[in-house]
Amino acid sequence: MTRESDQKRFPGRVVARRFLSPALFELLVERPPGFGFLPGQRAGLSFQGLERDYTMITSPDQPELGFYVREVEGGGLSPLLARIEPGQELSLSGPRGYFVFRPSPRRTVFVATGTGLAPFISMARAGARGFILLHGVRDRGELHFQDLFRTAAGLYVPCLSRAGADEDLPPGTFPGRTTAYLQTRLEPGAYDFYLCGRREMIREVTLLIDERFPGSYVFFEIFS
Amino acid sequence: MTIYTGTGDHGQTSLFSGERVPKNHRRIEACGEVDELNSILGLLVSRLGPEEEGWVRELRAVQARLFDLGAWLSTTGGSESARFLSKITPETSRALEERMDRMEETLPGLTSFILPGGHELAAWAHLARAVCRRVERRVVALASPREQASEVPSGVLVYLNRLSDYLFVLARSLNQRHGQEDVPWSGRGG
Repeated sequence: MTRESDQKRFPGRVVARRFLSPALFELLVERPPGFGFLPGQRAGLSFQGLERDYTMITSPDQPELGFYVREVEGGGLSPLLARIEPGQELSLSGPRGYFVFRPSPRRTVFVATGTGLAPFISMARAGARGFILLHGVRDRGELHFQDLFRTAAGLYVPCLSRAGADEDLPPGTFPGRTTAYLQTRLEPGAYDFYLCGRREMIREVTLLIDERFPGSYVFFEIFS
Repeated sequence: MTIYTGTGDHGQTSLFSGERVPKNHRRIEACGEVDELNSILGLLVSRLGPEEEGWVRELRAVQARLFDLGAWLSTTGGSESARFLSKITPETSRALEERMDRMEETLPGLTSFILPGGHELAAWAHLARAVCRRVERRVVALASPREQASEVPSGVLVYLNRLSDYLFVLARSLNQRHGQEDVPWSGRGG
């Protein structure tokens, strides 16, 4: 299913870079003419000879392409992007990928860990509504885009894996991992699950779906 | 890109259209047959020489179409996911027909059945043809009206039927190019 557009390259000028927490930042790039995409798709970002795929977090009708990036210590591209300045140019390829929203009569459950939230940000900005979103992070400092999801989601559940038993949590926050929420809180039934994040989460959640939510549909994208 | 997921460790897998199915589901079986065919074509391509670049290009195009075809087989009929797939229409088969016509212009007429074999390259092409027919049988089973919501685009069956014929003609052309006679079937043998 490789398309010619997968290989096509576009120049992209950096518009802004904004840190949301010490290691997580949002990068905005001017959208090159002719670069269309569906919410949930990725673009290849290339800078100083290094390339990596990142998922757009903006809606396709916005003038910029946005990316939600974790600066990986000792990593290749992400430390460079963390220091890139507005006005600098990078190169884009794509769009790529099939992790896009499919309308369905079943309820939709988005499950994300860390920056695996990215495709769901784009989907919500593009108009997706009423879904259940479980966002797994270590601590509340990594909970971003909460206003967007409190408006767009039917049920938004931040899942804090390192929350202490006696920690005072905001209402609606789950003290534990996304898998624990699915095991104990989500009503049995058939859903459309969209999973994005670490491989371990996707494996555990998928096997849990097979066991606890038979008849469900599963779409996933691994963020390494 | 990450290759392993572990999501199939208990014998289930996901269709492109999202359903979780056992790994011996008919659609997964059909996809596996397509994968086998594609792998044989990869082997055949790897054995072709530098002066057979035209066939290399043709077979690589076929391999790409087989990827598209596998995606269709992994998508239940009427699914929203179908809109992301490359169309396989009867027109997709036209290139194979044109290439077959050109190859046949230089081939001697057939007066009997021929045995699969001859030059090694031709033998691989015959093996690919036989596997292609098996794929076709699997897909016909999927396309049966008795299967619920399992429509297969008509272009898929047309393409597989034409590809089998193309591989037969290719096998004969490879024998011709490498100076080998087709091996005629001699009736009751002996």
